[in-house]
Amino acid sequence: MTDAILFWFLALVTIGAGLSVVLMSNPIYSALCLAMTMVGVSALFVTMGAYFLAGVQLIVYAGAVMVLFVMVLMLFDLKHEIQAFTRGKITGAVKIGTVGILAGLIVGAITLSSKVMELAKSAPAAAATGKTYGDNTMSLAQNLFLQNVFGFEALGVVLLVIAVGTVALSRSRGGTHARD
Amino acid sequence: MDHQLLIAILLLSPLVGFVLNGTRFRSQNYVLAGAIATGAVVVSFICSVMLMLQLIDADPEHRRLTATFFEWIAVGGLKINAGFVVDQISSIMILIITGVGSLIHLFSIGYMHHDKGVTKYFAYLNLFIFNMLILVLGDSLVTMFVGWEGVGLCSYLLIGFWFSDSAKAAAGMKAFITNRIGDAAFIIGMFILFFTFGTLNMYELNALAPTVVEASWLGAATLGTLMLFIGATGKSAQVPLYVWLPDAMAGPTPVSALIHAATMVTAGVYMIVRLNPMFVAAPNTMMVIAIVGAVTAVMAATIGLTQFDIKKVLAYSTVSQLGYMFLAVGVGAFGAGMMHLMTHAFFKALMFLGSGSVIHAMDGEQDIQLMGGLKKKLPITHATFVMGWLAIIGFPLFSGFFSKDEILWQAYSSPRGSVFLWMAGALGATLTAFYMTRLMALTFWGGSRVPKSVHPHESPAIMTIPLIVLAILSVVGGFVGVPHVISEYLGHIPNFWEHWLEPVIRRLPEGVSEHSATEEWGLMATSVTLALVSAFTAYRIYTNGKKTNEQIAKAFGPVYNVVNNKYFVDEAYFGGIINPLVKQSQNLWMYIDVNFIDKTTHVIADMTKGVGSLARSFQTGNMQQYAMYIGLGVVTVLTFVLMR
Amino acid sequence: MPETNFITTIGLEHYLVLSAVLFSMGMAGVLLRRNLIVLLMSVELMLNAVNISFVAFSKYNNNIEGQIMVFFVMTIAAAEAAVGLALAVSIFKRFKEVNIRFFEHLKG
Repeated sequence: MTDAILFWFLALVTIGAGLSVVLMSNPIYSALCLAMTMVGVSALFVTMGAYFLAGVQLIVYAGAVMVLFVMVLMLFDLKHEIQAFTRGKITGAVKIGTVGILAGLIVGAITLSSKVMELAKSAPAAAATGKTYGDNTMSLAQNLFLQNVFGFEALGVVLLVIAVGTVALSRSRGGTHARD
Repeated sequence: MDHQLLIAILLLSPLVGFVLNGTRFRSQNYVLAGAIATGAVVVSFICSVMLMLQLIDADPEHRRLTATFFEWIAVGGLKINAGFVVDQISSIMILIITGVGSLIHLFSIGYMHHDKGVTKYFAYLNLFIFNMLILVLGDSLVTMFVGWEGVGLCSYLLIGFWFSDSAKAAAGMKAFITNRIGDAAFIIGMFILFFTFGTLNMYELNALAPTVVEASWLGAATLGTLMLFIGATGKSAQVPLYVWLPDAMAGPTPVSALIHAATMVTAGVYMIVRLNPMFVAAPNTMMVIAIVGAVTAVMAATIGLTQFDIKKVLAYSTVSQLGYMFLAVGVGAFGAGMMHLMTHAFFKALMFLGSGSVIHAMDGEQDIQLMGGLKKKLPITHATFVMGWLAIIGFPLFSGFFSKDEILWQAYSSPRGSVFLWMAGALGATLTAFYMTRLMALTFWGGSRVPKSVHPHESPAIMTIPLIVLAILSVVGGFVGVPHVISEYLGHIPNFWEHWLEPVIRRLPEGVSEHSATEEWGLMATSVTLALVSAFTAYRIYTNGKKTNEQIAKAFGPVYNVVNNKYFVDEAYFGGIINPLVKQSQNLWMYIDVNFIDKTTHVIADMTKGVGSLARSFQTGNMQQYAMYIGLGVVTVLTFVLMR
Repeated sequence: MPETNFITTIGLEHYLVLSAVLFSMGMAGVLLRRNLIVLLMSVELMLNAVNISFVAFSKYNNNIEGQIMVFFVMTIAAAEAAVGLALAVSIFKRFKEVNIRFFEHLKG
């Protein structure tokens, strides 16, 4: 019963914060609400027993990415926006309709799917075998560094490339490295 | 040296010259351009001589040097190699091409030195030599055809060399298009031969030829060889496709000497000699060739009587002499045809270069009515020109005498000849003597009619040396093939020529008709007497200048008019073929093309444009709209998947 | 299955529905907002929604691979955010504007 209450609470917080991200016309508020969503998602990971990921989620998203966003917003010095949303009533309606139908389709598919129901039933049995925090992280690490070590290394290379690319993109013209 | 390497150098040397000159075609350094081009051809000439020496050393039955560089085409049953052969026939040709070619290149340095496009000119000349060598050496009809087309291209480029003059450019086009007609027939001939014999290699074709016995008109060998012969009439300027050659004189004079006298125009004769077993197997084709040759010889000679342009006279003379060669191969005298090809290459190249020297001296004037008395002003040119003149009218013991009389004798005595062919040939010889003497008289002898503004002068040594060499060859060139009846009185000179060609010439299946030596002497005396009498008559008429041209024209009346207008052949072609074609094409253009095809395409284009502008409205540049399309697509696919 | 179970018993479908709703909200943001930065935030929202369903499947499938995938997605998402913001910075420097209404230069 407690996990149900926890879930509903977290679900409400996450959805509310997410909605605010989309609806707030001031980007600073959007950013703060996104941070809230991240924290909510992190908590949801905890309810599912993914403790390590919850921690990473907090550190990477709520910590690093959000700071990046806020820094950029600060750099741009953006106030309340005049045209926060796209114009055009028909296209707007079509867009909202598209999103709504997509959501409806997915939800309908989930509730009608026999596979999901079957999996949902098997979960308590899996929980009964006794997965703990310790072997969760350990098995994650083993999987990551044994089976997926190449993917891991490739990610490292991607990050390096991206770090260089980002510097090249946002390099300031003028200043100490002026060339033109 | 290895003969394959020699053949490669022989072929590639002019090509290298072409590339070297062609890449720097704007240059006006005539010394460098001429040195490169002449050097390239001289290298080829040296290779030719070495190949000839190797051939002479070889056993007479195995005188064949082949070089296959790579497999060129292999489609189904058709296998064509880039293979080249030097044998008894092609060795003579490469010697003529590179030997006479070297001399003409040398002459060109002097003749073209003031021209702005001199480097381009030499590049074209080298390209021509390259293509001509491919034509001559190719071991299959397809390889030969590559050269055949290549020399046609070079001929077009060089006739229209001074293309800023629209008449000269038109002459180039006329030559090219007329040649195309013949080339189409040549291709059809190749198709027929390949369809029938399954090969286009000339040696294999020749080996298969004796299996064919054909008397009908519709046999494969007859049709195929007939088509090849039509191709030859285009390239070698025979009736009815000879009309381009006189106009081709628009090009520089050395070009006329090289391409339109000595080498390219003889390609048709060479092709027939090369395929002689195949032609022997088709008696009807041989008959057509002989008749066409005889008709051309006489007809071109008559036109030559009335021309006043020094190069036009020589051009009609060339057509006429080519007619002799075809007459020779048509009666089965392939050796005599080849020999006349060679002697003609000598004396006609000599005369064209001589005329070039005259034109050079006259500052570009070509009308012989404005010449006369040039003998004193141009002593070397005159002396060499006289040698060529004596050779072409068949003065005894000059080179033309041996080859021409051999042809006339064969036309009479061969089983496929007849007395009428001999009469046509003798008439042609008489006319030739007349118009050539007329040319000599009007140009070099008699009183001077040169305008006061022109001061003729002898050409520099670089132009006279080739003339002298060619003059010597014109005089002695005939002694390689002295007929038996004459050699008896000259200390039994062996007939090298017949000996040399014997293994590659197929004997006529009819055998040899019996004729006495008296008969041969009689015919020879008749034709020579006729020629000398007519030459003397022409000398009397034109040297004294008593009878003007108008008097002659009046004396012959309408006949002169018709001949002077070249039998209205050009006009007939225009009225009968070209103009109706143009008219019909215009109708097609106006009614079919504009009304139907254009409109259809316009409708299609408009429809495409309409659809395009519709699609364009989706391309707003608004990326959120694009994202919406993606979303709609996802929704559609998901709906489809879930509703299934 | 009684109706009360939907409220009291939390199963896979709950997480999946939550994930779908979050995803749709992020998508709506991408489609409707005009601020470049907010667009990037909406993309992050969509990625997080996907992460939730990965972890949920991982738990109910009893398979650790789903969490590995989340790990990768997070890394890529962080990198994407970095690049996206770098682009935003250079665009802002050029146009002095982050409203994508002004960037419609690919109009056909």
